[in-house]
Amino acid sequence: MSKSAKYWAALAAVALLQIGFLAKMAFDRVSLIKSGREIALQVIPIDPRDIFRGEYVILGYDISQIPASKGGSENFAEDLQRRTLIYVTLKQGADGVWTAKELSRDYPKTVAPTDVVMKGYVRAAFRAGNDTFDTVAIRYGIESYFVPEGAGKALEQGVQDKKIQALVAVGSDGTAALKGLIVGGERHEDPPLL
Amino acid sequence: MFGHGKRLREDIRRWHREGWVTANGETQILQELSRRGSGVSLASALGILASVLLAFALMSFVAAHWNEMSRGFRLSLLLSLVAAGYAAAGFFETRGREIFSDAAILFALAAFGASIMLISQMFHIDGSPPDGVLAWWLGAFIAGVLLHSNAALALAMVLVVVWTGMETDFPGGVHWPFLPAWAAITAGFAWHRWTPGVYISGLALTGFVVSLGYLLGLGNWHAGVAAIGLVAIIAALVASKLAPEYDAVSAPALGFAIATVGCASIALQFFEKTTTSELILYAALTLAGLLAAIGYGLANHHRGAIWLGYIGFSIEVLSLYWKTVGTILDTSLFFLVAGLIVAGLAFMAWRLAHRFDGSNGGIERGARI
Repeated sequence: MSKSAKYWAALAAVALLQIGFLAKMAFDRVSLIKSGREIALQVIPIDPRDIFRGEYVILGYDISQIPASKGGSENFAEDLQRRTLIYVTLKQGADGVWTAKELSRDYPKTVAPTDVVMKGYVRAAFRAGNDTFDTVAIRYGIESYFVPEGAGKALEQGVQDKKIQALVAVGSDGTAALKGLIVGGERHEDPPLL
Repeated sequence: MFGHGKRLREDIRRWHREGWVTANGETQILQELSRRGSGVSLASALGILASVLLAFALMSFVAAHWNEMSRGFRLSLLLSLVAAGYAAAGFFETRGREIFSDAAILFALAAFGASIMLISQMFHIDGSPPDGVLAWWLGAFIAGVLLHSNAALALAMVLVVVWTGMETDFPGGVHWPFLPAWAAITAGFAWHRWTPGVYISGLALTGFVVSLGYLLGLGNWHAGVAAIGLVAIIAALVASKLAPEYDAVSAPALGFAIATVGCASIALQFFEKTTTSELILYAALTLAGLLAAIGYGLANHHRGAIWLGYIGFSIEVLSLYWKTVGTILDTSLFFLVAGLIVAGLAFMAWRLAHRFDGSNGGIERGARI
């Protein structure tokens, strides 16, 4: 192979690798949103806005903080490190809202067909005030919702009024993807990719 | 850099007069020098700046029209920007304009990084941002190795530093994966035999080692940092004696090792709680060490050591002033003592310079610094 042919081959390899990575990043999400099991989570208000990524709302959930007692023992949170992978089993209540039923460090061996298991990372484990149990703070990667320009204010107001639910798709390994929001009973979803 | 070329030209003419270089050799060397002239490096520097500006322009254009585009169009636009960058690199490289191919590669890598961010945004992926930077530096590293691009490797090192900064928790959480990442990129520099890489790697490693002082031992690990720096100084000195042919590496390494010890010493004296006697001991050791660095620099024509010595000396004296004012010493007394110390140092430096002047013309070189 001539020198320039080699260089073109190397260029093609690098370009394909990087474009492939980006495409996989996008298409993994598309397929997760399409095929994952859909649940609706109650959103609770947290500080909005970030300087780097334009206008978006930060979503906090009922299930962002879970008592360690759900882990089956009082000292479940004792040696829990930041960024540890953690699985939360969710069950749907009579009012349709999904709440945390169980915490575990591995994917549960048996899952009731009505339940959903969601994967998250430990942010912190702490004991506040006079609590008997530790609280585990968890992030699921569905905490930011990027909004079209100008629409942020209205959405934020909805969050303040507790009128918002998040539409989440959960994959078979527990990965969660934010599909959209339900504001005052109305579904807001991103249009399909193509 | 320009100064270096000019001095080399003067030296070559002198070597020719002394009969060390033939007339033919002089012409050849001068021709080679002018081929490497500043015009080319200026063009490549401007090319790189232009590519950075173009990348910013395109990205802000994309961001400004984000809502008007369909999601599929946005995605394909981002991916084609990456592809266009690499295609331009190939175009320049095969037409003998290698100096612009680095700029094109940097453009592609900027587009790659921005795409990671914009795709996350498109799909509301709120993963951990450092993971995005990890993917970005890996992309830059692979491009640097496969395309023999030093600019891409340099970008990878910058991104590794950013990644490490984002992953570091205060206190206690040292981000050890920095070390293998640093080693991989440094190996890339070594493989390409790219001298500026020594400085980039040295700076990154120095920053990491100095940060250990604030992260380990509940933030009080500066003595450990000083020890690492001292070992590195000894290693660099031994290396320059045993393998002078690797001077291009050992000389900068010595400078970075001196800087490491200096940073740790400043933290020990001025950020930690010290008793007066500890402070005097550390300050005396630091000043002696700085004097040794200047002396070594003068004797061995190591400009970095001389400059670090001067800069360190200024910082040390100013910090001592801040620390001691109104406490162990009266201000005027401090200035008197500092003045006497500086006068003493000036005298010693003069003595040192004269000693070298007698043996190998040290003062002539010293005066040019």
